[in-house]
Amino acid sequence: MSIADAFASFPRAPGELAAVVPPTELVLAPGDVEETAAILETASDLRARVLVWGGGTHQGIGHRVEPDVVISTAALDRIVAWEPDDLTLVVEGGVTVAAVEAMLAERGQTAALPEWGGPATVGGVVAAAISGYRRHRYGPTRDRLLEATIVTGDGRVVRGGGRVVKNVTGYDIPRLVAGSFGSLGVIVSVCFKLWPLAERRATVTVDDAERALQTLFRPVAVLETRDGVSVYLAGTEAEVQSEAERVDGVATEGFAWPDPPQGETVWSLRVPPALVSEGIGRLPADWVFVAEHGVGHLRCAGRFDAAAVAELRGWAEEAGGALVLEHAEDQSVYERLDPWGTPPSGMALQRRLMAAFDPAHILAPGRLPGGR
Amino acid sequence: MTLQTDLVGLLGPERVLSSDLDRFLYGKDAGVYRGEVTVVALPETTDEVQEIVRIAARHDVPVIPRGAGTGLAGGAVPLGGGVIVATTRMNQIFEIDAANRCAWVGPGVINLDLSRAAAPYGLHFAPDPSSQSACTIGGNVANNSGGPHCLAEGSTVNHVLGLEVVLADGEVLVTGGKAPDPVGLDLRGIIVGSEGTLGIVTKALVRLTPNPPDVRTLLITFDSVEDAAATVSGIIAAGLVPAALEMMDQRMTEAVENWLHAGLPTDAAAILLAEVTGDTPAVEAEADVIRQVARGHRAREIRVARDEAERTLLWKGRKSAFGAVAQAAPDYYLHDTVVPRTKLVETMREVYEIGERYGLTMMNVFHAGDGNLHPLMMFDASEPGALDRVHAAADELVELCVRNGGVLSGEHGIGKEKRDLMHLMFTPVDLDAQARLKEVFDPDGRFNPEKILPAGSRCFDFGRPVPEGAWI
Ligand SMILES: Cc1cc2nc3c(=O)[nH]c(=O)nc-3n(C[C@H](O)[C@H](O)[C@H](O)COP(=O)(O)OP(=O)(O)OC[C@H]3O[C@@H](n4cnc5c(N)ncnc54)[C@H](O)[C@@H]3O)c2cc1C
Repeated sequence: MSIADAFASFPRAPGELAAVVPPTELVLAPGDVEETAAILETASDLRARVLVWGGGTHQGIGHRVEPDVVISTAALDRIVAWEPDDLTLVVEGGVTVAAVEAMLAERGQTAALPEWGGPATVGGVVAAAISGYRRHRYGPTRDRLLEATIVTGDGRVVRGGGRVVKNVTGYDIPRLVAGSFGSLGVIVSVCFKLWPLAERRATVTVDDAERALQTLFRPVAVLETRDGVSVYLAGTEAEVQSEAERVDGVATEGFAWPDPPQGETVWSLRVPPALVSEGIGRLPADWVFVAEHGVGHLRCAGRFDAAAVAELRGWAEEAGGALVLEHAEDQSVYERLDPWGTPPSGMALQRRLMAAFDPAHILAPGRLPGGR
Repeated sequence: MTLQTDLVGLLGPERVLSSDLDRFLYGKDAGVYRGEVTVVALPETTDEVQEIVRIAARHDVPVIPRGAGTGLAGGAVPLGGGVIVATTRMNQIFEIDAANRCAWVGPGVINLDLSRAAAPYGLHFAPDPSSQSACTIGGNVANNSGGPHCLAEGSTVNHVLGLEVVLADGEVLVTGGKAPDPVGLDLRGIIVGSEGTLGIVTKALVRLTPNPPDVRTLLITFDSVEDAAATVSGIIAAGLVPAALEMMDQRMTEAVENWLHAGLPTDAAAILLAEVTGDTPAVEAEADVIRQVARGHRAREIRVARDEAERTLLWKGRKSAFGAVAQAAPDYYLHDTVVPRTKLVETMREVYEIGERYGLTMMNVFHAGDGNLHPLMMFDASEPGALDRVHAAADELVELCVRNGGVLSGEHGIGKEKRDLMHLMFTPVDLDAQARLKEVFDPDGRFNPEKILPAGSRCFDFGRPVPEGAWI
């Protein structure tokens, strides 16, 4: 029996999935946890390689995987429980960031998911541990993840964490799932801690990012691009006004977020926060970027230049950081360098952890660091 | 060579404790359980910890990491003998990196000492357990400890950037660092909160938080516990996440007042301690929201701390609550559970009912803003059957909280205390997954055995053996 025949009884994903097309014809779209489990059980039996697919927006990260089957989470798109008065939200993995934030905004709340997230799914954002620009104030996505339910490679439904804002019951499996890139299981649902949206929001153009960071107590973000530095403020009317005055900037109403950088290659440069300005100076002159001051993250994009990348990566790794490839138009870039850079210590332990969740090694095999 | 001589060979006689008195002292943490200690080792370096782990493996005895022993769930209590690795002497602050707002510290550094050392830079370590003048960073990391100011700042896990850990095979793992988002699986998150069952933390890179420019601390008095609880729910529902939001009931307030004379109103059924931090316009606006919500719930009096001295006194009152109780009763049992904040009112009502049913005096002082309850039961352990009654009431409390959508523990951990209640929250498949995780780190079950997971957790098997070579 062919792999396609083995999966014939499972629902196929309807037509167009996202801007990015999955690398196989066989795209299944389970409608619930049980169906997801049945698919993975079958896949484990057949040793069929599985790639989990959300919005397809972060599939450029990591070693390339050639899957036999893609599991799309498009049909796992329910809002499970929203407790506005407790500031918690449980949603299925396939719900898009845009849908979540639009719904929450109606009651003045936010999950602080990536601002540019749009078609990205919450499962994908968690799996890739992507954080939005508001991280400086609200912390990374993994800090707001309270519970996760996954279906493991061999079809077990495993839930970790809980639906309350403070919890130390058992090992923190949700945190392990954050950043696992689909290698531990399919994220079928997650619970987020929410934040109230402030009454007033403003974007202020300033000259000096470091000074703004020193002057203000926890701005929402201090971002720098080739166009200059913007400080993002949120709070009461009086608070925002006084903060804007203190940094002598020109304030405009609302958050004007920069577009994510785009180019032949897109990179995530991670360095200790104090090195952000130096990092900007080290980027190739024709690259575009969004630098998150106070966080230590720069997303940057431009023409691929192997020597420049090697030098930038060398500097970042020396400083304890990384330069991670997030997207390349030309797939051969993934062959010419390691998309992650130098693997972290403890790779044997990492492999054993993956095996504990995916004994047949079918989930995005080789995608994570050390995979090749 | 015996275990003892191996350890003395490594550490010298002064850093290996095995007298009856020492073994008695290290047989317990601040909770109610006592265990059997074989020997206590006091390492000073990571190398020594590695060697201790190897020696323990050679002699096939358990290893139990221990900080200050202030844990309340029996986490540091050895259940089947073994080497206690006490980190007391690993109390060096290696680096305070003000520019990157973080510090590398030894696990034995006392929580408050770190904030004191960071003060000249205008920074502090945000997790502030009430035990902060005694507990260690290693213990905080292992228990993912919280404190009043974790409402806005999050628990310890949100403040750990990197860890150095000695694993079961004696190897050292370094995970995370000053840069965000380390590549690969994030092992930090799984080690934080693992209660010494996955490895021994020998260094931690922790985030330091800027001291707020301004602060308002409000003491709000109520004639009923329900009004106070409803105010907490109301503040969160109003879209405000204060820096801290703590509640104390009348019995607790009395105990604190008798001991400390902090000026707390002893005739109030409940008091709330609310704190907002930030720029002056922000704290004023937020304090106003709190006032409005409190008035809407019949607050009797709202007092704002006039100066730092009054604020400090209020917090001292809050953080000494357990000390105060110790003065008032021969024994107490302190509980730790969480419910959604929308369920505070009804849960509190049922908490008192359980106390009445078991004939136990129930006192409450807790992190209300997080929904993190700390019902405290007074008893006299010399009275036959008293402790059994306490345990029965405690189990019922946990069941109540889980029924109301909550969890077993918000900050004290599972340890031995709640190990056998894990099934209330997790399916056998969930527990099996956790047991597999433990097995990955510690295949021989060397570290802190019989903690967190109930016996038999690793029993679930899908019955499909993995063929040879499937995993390379
Ligand atoms: C009066 C009082 C008030 C308290 N208030 C709070 C509070 O507000 N919030 C709160 O969260 N807790 C509170 N606690 C509980 C306790 O103080 C915390 O859990 C604290 O973090 C424990 O630290 P410790 O150094 O005493 O650890 P210990 O009790 O010695 O150990 C706790 C656990 O950590 C493990 N451990 C210790 N060091 C290491 C290490 N280096 N590597 C690996 N594992 C290790 C141990 O094996 C054990 O499982 C309170 C306790 C008391 C007595």
